[in-house]
Amino acid sequence: MMALERWLIELLLHFVSRDEINAFLRSPQNTATIIGCLIAVSGALLGTFLLLRGMALTSDAISHTVLLGIVVAFLLMTDVFGMAGDTSSPWLILGASLAGVGTVVLTELLYRSGLLRQDAALGLAFPLLFAIAVILVSRFAEDVHLDEDAVLVGEIGLAWANTNSHCFDNCATVTISPDHPQAKMARQCRNCRELGISPRDEGAQFVEICSNCGSYSPAQAWQAGYLQKEPLLVFFPKSITVTLVMTALSLLFVIIFYKELKLTTFDAALAKALGFRPGVMNYALMILVSLVAVGAFDAVGSILVIAFFIIPPAAAYLLTDRLAIMLLLGPLIGAAGAFFGYDLARGKFFGIIEVADIIAGVNSIFGLDLPENWDSSISASMVLMIFIIFALAWVLSPRYGLISTLIRRANQRRRFNDQVVLAHIHNHQFTDRHATELRVKTLHIHFRWTVRKMARVLARLRALGFVALVDGFAELTERGETQVHAFRSAMLEAHNMPDIE
Amino acid sequence: MNDRAPLALSVEDLTVAYHSKPAIWDIDLAVPEGVLMAIVGPNGAGKSTLIKAVLNLIPRAAGTVSFYGSPYEQARSLVGYVPQRGSVDWDFPTSVLDVVTMGLYGKLGWLRRPGRRERDLALFALEQVGLLDLVDRQISQLSGGQQQRTFLARALVQDAQIYFMDEPFAAVDAITERAIVNILHQLKERGKTVLVVHHDLQTVEDYFDWLTLLNVEIVASGPTAEVFTPENLKKTYGGTVSYLHDGQVLMAGD
Repeated sequence: MMALERWLIELLLHFVSRDEINAFLRSPQNTATIIGCLIAVSGALLGTFLLLRGMALTSDAISHTVLLGIVVAFLLMTDVFGMAGDTSSPWLILGASLAGVGTVVLTELLYRSGLLRQDAALGLAFPLLFAIAVILVSRFAEDVHLDEDAVLVGEIGLAWANTNSHCFDNCATVTISPDHPQAKMARQCRNCRELGISPRDEGAQFVEICSNCGSYSPAQAWQAGYLQKEPLLVFFPKSITVTLVMTALSLLFVIIFYKELKLTTFDAALAKALGFRPGVMNYALMILVSLVAVGAFDAVGSILVIAFFIIPPAAAYLLTDRLAIMLLLGPLIGAAGAFFGYDLARGKFFGIIEVADIIAGVNSIFGLDLPENWDSSISASMVLMIFIIFALAWVLSPRYGLISTLIRRANQRRRFNDQVVLAHIHNHQFTDRHATELRVKTLHIHFRWTVRKMARVLARLRALGFVALVDGFAELTERGETQVHAFRSAMLEAHNMPDIE
Repeated sequence: MNDRAPLALSVEDLTVAYHSKPAIWDIDLAVPEGVLMAIVGPNGAGKSTLIKAVLNLIPRAAGTVSFYGSPYEQARSLVGYVPQRGSVDWDFPTSVLDVVTMGLYGKLGWLRRPGRRERDLALFALEQVGLLDLVDRQISQLSGGQQQRTFLARALVQDAQIYFMDEPFAAVDAITERAIVNILHQLKERGKTVLVVHHDLQTVEDYFDWLTLLNVEIVASGPTAEVFTPENLKKTYGGTVSYLHDGQVLMAGD
């Protein structure tokens, strides 16, 4: 992780100065936006396949159960192996991905027992693991910052503050030992508490304690004032590294195994028959979902993760019917949602409208006194913004959108009405029932339509030049005749494809 | 059939159970090369189960299966499979050409991408099933018959020796049915072996020269002319079947 960050910073230093990097990353907005976008990109890439496999809820389950993996790994690290409790340690990530896979295995076992359906098995497995995790947190890890708020919506707004420092020049590490001139020594009574006496009492024994001994990284040493020259430092938020790695892994996975993912998702039986391993692909996908869920856990908590996985691909699905394009659009939509979501949390809607102005307007219209300053949860705002983009796609999508569907249906209805009338005239003109069937005044009765609807359809057909009115009777024109033949043969063709012999 | 023809498929003592209830029971089957074989039986007789177990898609409780004398793992490239149309999600965001190309993934193996050669092979197969006009169509916009022919084209590109088709005639239009029959006969002419799960007793004699009657156990298997008898059908369907034979209605049963 550290090496990767260093490499990244060195790369960046070719283009921008150290101060610019630090200033950029110290802004909560920049850091939160980068992390949000990375989660959205990796989530949408994997979520596309979850969505198409009908496993949308699995991402929700996994985002909850990774907590168990994190907690168990944390307890093992600190209590069993005596390591420092670092919440972005690779061990926690390993534990979390094991928990994610464990969820899927447990669900599968419950399902295979034949006693539960798939959804019920999932609904049973993940609350169980999550409950165990919550109990472990509250019982053993209270001092860790795994509080309910963090689990609920994450701390993406604070991600900028949790950094690794990287030193590029004047990188002196300082070790203060008790004989160091700057060591702060103090005498402390060794046995006072034991004997219940004060240090002034007789029999008190003293030890020399060094209060500032230890080794200092360049950043710490500079801050404590042990260095003459300021080291050249870059502070890199840990969450960016974690989410960046997750995104890179997801991207590599989808690019390298695109063909295999597509086949196992579309037709697992054929995939198996051809010698691909749908089971292996499924677990590989679940491991990656778990990894992304861990990265996302710190930033957006357990509950909102599913939105980053599922809503962007669902929106992309409305806009395209090609998998490759869906895999491009999904991450774009997610990233846009995360980007504008930060703005929304700070009171700006798509960077143009101030939410405060809206509230002020509502206040003045309804005489209310709602607080006008707007500062809300970043992760929740990002999800809301992703959803707004989804809603836009849902309404406006050229092919599957609400508006185009309504227009298409209206057109279909109109065309169908036209054809019904044309066919009726075609069937009855030049027959002996012509007088009863085709009189314009009574035509509507035959279709059980209202007079107004009949008049509307007839007017349209006359305007199109398909129908003429002769002595109060409807009659097909030559164009109308051709039209009837055209849609009749089209109808037949829809059932029968061109001959193949 | 020539007795010296090699066996395309040999199944011995195959049993499959779902939750300890046998779905197919002690199946012995010897299918010579180059036959068009129908697998016929009532609902729940285990017809699809038989195909899936033969192809290792579901676990076998017992038995051995060999293709030209080799187990499935070594004979994969000899085998083409057309699953039931309803087994996949036709809303999947992909095109007809793409689905047909999937039939070539097995030959490509892991990681290698389909290229121009694969595209040409897929287009050729689509031409054979009469879908050349629809190659770029999103698969959800196909009719049932067109979907079935897409699956058929996907099996054709596999260029297998022995094909398994799970109810290809289910709910398709007359044109598609004729297209499938044509392709079955082309396959037979090229010396391929085809096993088809079939439902329509009226067409068994016209379409297939080999027949297996199945109802959990094998009732009879062999040339259609020998197997397709009222007695065998009665044994298979338990006396509830009627079918058309040479324009007459025969009742196989009471």
